[in-house]
Amino acid sequence: MTAKSDLLGRDAVNPHEEWLMRHSEALKSTRKTRFETSSGIEINPVYSPWDLEKMGWSYQSDVGFPGEEPWTRGFSACGYRQRLWDIEMYAGFGSAEDANKRYRYLLENGSTGGVSIALDLPTQIGLDPDHPLASDEVGQIGVSLMSFEDIKVMFDGIPLEKAGHVFTTGNCIGPLAAAWFLALAEERGEYPGCFTLQVQNDPIKEYIARGTQFLPIEASVKLATDMLQYVSENVPQWLPISISGSHMKQAGASTVQEAAFTVCNGIAYVEACLAKGMKIDDFGDRIELHFCTEMDFFEEVAKYRAVRKIWTRLVRERFGGTTRKAQMFRLHAATSGRPLTAQQPLNNVSRITLQALEQILGGCEQTRTASFDEALGIPTELAARTSIRINQIIGHETGIPDTVDPLGGSYFVEALTKQFENQIREVVAEVDALGGALAAAKSGWFQRQLAKGAYREQCRIESGEQIVVGVNAFRSDEPPPEQTFRVDPSAAARQLAKLNALRERRDKVRHTAALARLREDCAAGVNVMPAMIEAVRARATVGEIGALWREVFGEYRPQSERF
Amino acid sequence: MTTNDTFTQPLRVVMTKVGLDGHDRGVKVIAQAFRDEGMEVIYAGLRRTPDEIADIVSQEDADILGLSILSGAVVPLTRRVVQALAAREIEDVLVIVGGIVSDEAREELRGIGVEGVFGPGASLAEIIRFVNENAPDRSMPA
Repeated sequence: MTAKSDLLGRDAVNPHEEWLMRHSEALKSTRKTRFETSSGIEINPVYSPWDLEKMGWSYQSDVGFPGEEPWTRGFSACGYRQRLWDIEMYAGFGSAEDANKRYRYLLENGSTGGVSIALDLPTQIGLDPDHPLASDEVGQIGVSLMSFEDIKVMFDGIPLEKAGHVFTTGNCIGPLAAAWFLALAEERGEYPGCFTLQVQNDPIKEYIARGTQFLPIEASVKLATDMLQYVSENVPQWLPISISGSHMKQAGASTVQEAAFTVCNGIAYVEACLAKGMKIDDFGDRIELHFCTEMDFFEEVAKYRAVRKIWTRLVRERFGGTTRKAQMFRLHAATSGRPLTAQQPLNNVSRITLQALEQILGGCEQTRTASFDEALGIPTELAARTSIRINQIIGHETGIPDTVDPLGGSYFVEALTKQFENQIREVVAEVDALGGALAAAKSGWFQRQLAKGAYREQCRIESGEQIVVGVNAFRSDEPPPEQTFRVDPSAAARQLAKLNALRERRDKVRHTAALARLREDCAAGVNVMPAMIEAVRARATVGEIGALWREVFGEYRPQSERF
Repeated sequence: MTTNDTFTQPLRVVMTKVGLDGHDRGVKVIAQAFRDEGMEVIYAGLRRTPDEIADIVSQEDADILGLSILSGAVVPLTRRVVQALAAREIEDVLVIVGGIVSDEAREELRGIGVEGVFGPGASLAEIIRFVNENAPDRSMPA
């Protein structure tokens, strides 16, 4: 049968439509009524050149070649043929001594992405371990760092140059985190540019999703961009900001929203920098955009390809970037802990493998990989090592990295990339109309979008519409796994003892003077970094600096909301 | 549904994060589910102290207090909230806890009178059933 018109007598205009008509009966017998990506984009039964034609797609303007505008196929011409992606393992717990042991273990076992430091909550929120709100949480979900003394212990026996890349979150304490490592390089007599310090330093998404904010949002953005400015001017090898979509997605954003909200927050930081008199041509390549990779395979690949295109175009068209350097942001991907299940935890090895593959096929140069026991607690050494091996297997056994952007030209992936680009732009325009990211965060607009998404997904899982293997389908009666990591319970007491000893031992005159200067500079509105570095040298603690900021800038207060 | 019965007042629920952990996806999902069940729900936000929480429960005359804790300090934090409630002689509020809770911690929570503990994988239906069965009886004639 070769039908060339549909039941209404409309003529098929191309071979794709002819095919749809020829197989219209067969195409009706599907296992779902609608196929869609996790963001709700409808998926067709098959894609062909005519889908791209209909979208006005062109190879040169939409895709181009690797290492060239519009950067869809990647920032480097040689891709993973030059070098494989960096394998970065995020870790940290207990005291600086405990964390030091884990970092050495990871470096010895093939982690090529340097040292990636998880901070405990008191450190992130600017509280010392003896603060009444902090006492139960010291060293629990990350390492407790109180002062410069802890930074020295944490890097004992780890040469900065060998670590190569040091990452930490420090979203609302960005200037302090940078000052710690400037002081460490200074004390070791090394040039700080001999390694790359990277601080997430993205407070806006804390107010939206991650929750370590403790100052008014404007003050947090001011501090974050002070650090960004100081670092880009003084240690251009460092990466002073990693604008993160990952946490918003894990809190309920769709993949389109994850990408779009990150771009919106990025616009807010760049605008704050431009207002300080900075030029995008000088710091564009110091910006990282960070996302997390979940289970919808092609959507994630499309996201990474679309984001490269969108951000670089914004840099050119909205911020007046003229150089290649201005556009070369760093694209970072991490497999998401959220799809990992506590039930049948070994299934997570396969989830992590697929996610790792998605971010590699999306062309991300730097990737982080979660561990299969993350739904149960801090990863064990076995689980962390297995994640390193997943990357090595993809890198060395599969041939996947041997050509650049191997999914480029897939009709489906190209169509999805274009659809992603269009949808992200629409959301950015919507947030612009709300007054930008800060206004949308303050009014709770972002937060409501995330809560809606999270509730929708939970309802879909409970109704069985969305299947999570081992959770709402294919369950088995297994005893819960025994091997979960436990933080040494003495860590908090050890930190308290060290804190008290430090307060006795440090040079009190220098300490008082340094804090007085920091207070003056904060109040005067000048860049806080020079005073922050001196405060760190004088052994000011995270709690003292947090308290000083709260006094000068005011404190974030939670607000009750009625559902 | 008992909560929509004309002879009973809707259940009043205070949901909050306690401790420093800021991950509020779960607590908001449950707040919305309770709302859709016809309950009156107030989400008090992040980083509330035990005293603040007890004050909010008292001001709102809540039947149910939902605590969300993902950071590993679930037992000491819950204990402090329970103590703060006791210090204000608030006895008829049902405390439920959600988060990552080990079996050991579950036992300890039972020891301080908290039976409704829901970990990863708990369903909304199961949480709602527990609340409807265990909420303090304050039915009033219409």
